[in-house]
Amino acid sequence: MPAAVTAANVSDDPQKYEIEHVHSVYEEIAPHFSSTRYKPWPIIAQFLASLPAGWVGLDSGTGNGKYLPLPLDRPGDVWTIGLDRSRNLLEIARSAGAKRREVVWGDVLDGPWRPGVFDYAISIATIHHLSTHERRREAIQRLLECISPLHGRALIYVWAIEQDDLSKRSITSAQPKAAISVQEDISPAGQDVFVPWVLSAQKSLKSNGARESSASPRQSPQEDDVEGTQEAKSKVFNRYYHMFAKGELPTLVSAAARGLGLDVGDPDDINQGGGTRGIQIVQDGWERSNYYIELRRWEK
Amino acid sequence: MVRLITHNLLACHAKGCTSNNFPLQLKDVQVELRDAEYNADFLRGFISRIEWPALVDAARQLGDTSLPNEPPEMMDDDFLQKLHHVLLEIHIEEGAMICPNCAHVYPISNGIPNMLLAEHEIG
Ligand SMILES: [Zn+2]
Repeated sequence: MPAAVTAANVSDDPQKYEIEHVHSVYEEIAPHFSSTRYKPWPIIAQFLASLPAGWVGLDSGTGNGKYLPLPLDRPGDVWTIGLDRSRNLLEIARSAGAKRREVVWGDVLDGPWRPGVFDYAISIATIHHLSTHERRREAIQRLLECISPLHGRALIYVWAIEQDDLSKRSITSAQPKAAISVQEDISPAGQDVFVPWVLSAQKSLKSNGARESSASPRQSPQEDDVEGTQEAKSKVFNRYYHMFAKGELPTLVSAAARGLGLDVGDPDDINQGGGTRGIQIVQDGWERSNYYIELRRWEK
Repeated sequence: MVRLITHNLLACHAKGCTSNNFPLQLKDVQVELRDAEYNADFLRGFISRIEWPALVDAARQLGDTSLPNEPPEMMDDDFLQKLHHVLLEIHIEEGAMICPNCAHVYPISNGIPNMLLAEHEIG
C-alpha cells in the first residue's frame, strides 16, 4: 500500500509545530518505527568503516540507534554517542545491536558538548524534520561546532524530492513550498509535506506498554505488515518532512559554515586573503530518495 | 547511558553559560558496574581527547581511585585495563549532573541523561 504524501503548511511557531508533527509522533510510534529500521545505508556504513580507532562521534537524531554499533567488523574501535528528542526511541537505542550504547536525551538544535570534542558526526534522516530553513541551518551549525576544527568529519542525509522508483511512497501534491519567512540564501527550494505513519490499535497499545516497561528492541521485520490490514482500528500519524530540492543541501551546508565564519572549499585552493578555518565538501550526491553530503573541517 | 566516557564530553549549554561549564558535577548518583568489551586500540587513540583531571575526579567521586593524576607516558596493559574500566564499565543509572557555573541540573533517569533545556534557557 503506497503511503500518500500530502503538502504541509508550517504554522507560525516552528518549535511548537515540530513538537506536534515530529516529536510526539515518534514518541507514539517508537517500537513500530524501530522494527522497520534495521538496515544501515551503504554510504553511511562506509563512512563509519573509514574511521580510525580511538575516534568518538555524535549521531545527531539517532532514532533507534541503528548506526551506533557500526562498524560491525571492528566493534569498539570507535564510540558513537546517540542524541535524540524521543525518549522512547532512546530506550531502544540504548541497547542497539544487543550491547550497551551511550545515548543522550537532547535536541539537535542544542550543543551540550565541549566545543569540537567529537572527531566525527552523522545526522541521518533528521534535519528534514525541522520546519524552517533557519532551524535546518542551525542544526548543521551545531554539527560543525561539535566536531574537531582540525580534522572533524561529518555526514548528513536528508529526504529528497527526487524519489526512487522503488520507493513505496507516491507524491500526490507537488506544490512549491510556501514562503514561511525570509530566506535570503536559499536558491533551490524544497517542499514541506506530511508523510503518514499507520499504526494499528494493537501496536499503539504495545507502544504504551513499551514506555512504561522500557522494553528491549523489537527487530522483527514482519511487524511492518500492519499497514492496511486493520484499517478500522489503525491510527494515522502525519510526520512533517521538508523534502530537499537538488542542490539545496550543499547550499544549506555552505550557508551554515559561512555563518560561523568558516570558509567553504579545499584549503589548498584558498589563497591569501582567505580564512584560516573552513570546511571542505568531500562528496555530495543522491542515493535512494535521499541527498547526502560528507564534509571535513580544516584549519591552517 | 552515562558512562564516564560521555560525562567527559558533556558540558552545560544553558543560555549564556559558556565558561567554567565543564565538567558537570555528579550528584546523588547510583551506579552499576557492567563488563564491556576491552579494546586497547580505542583507548590508545581516545586518550588524547580526554580531559584528564575531570575524568580522574569523576572516577574518584564514584569510588574508583585507580587512575593516576597524570596520564602515564607508558600506556601498558595494566593502565589501559584501568582506563577501560573507568570509561566504559561504570554506568550512572540515576542521579543528576550539575553545572559548576550556573548550577543548572541535568537529571539522569534510567541511565539516560536529560540535556533538554526549557525554552527560556536556550542560548
Ligand atoms: Zn551552566
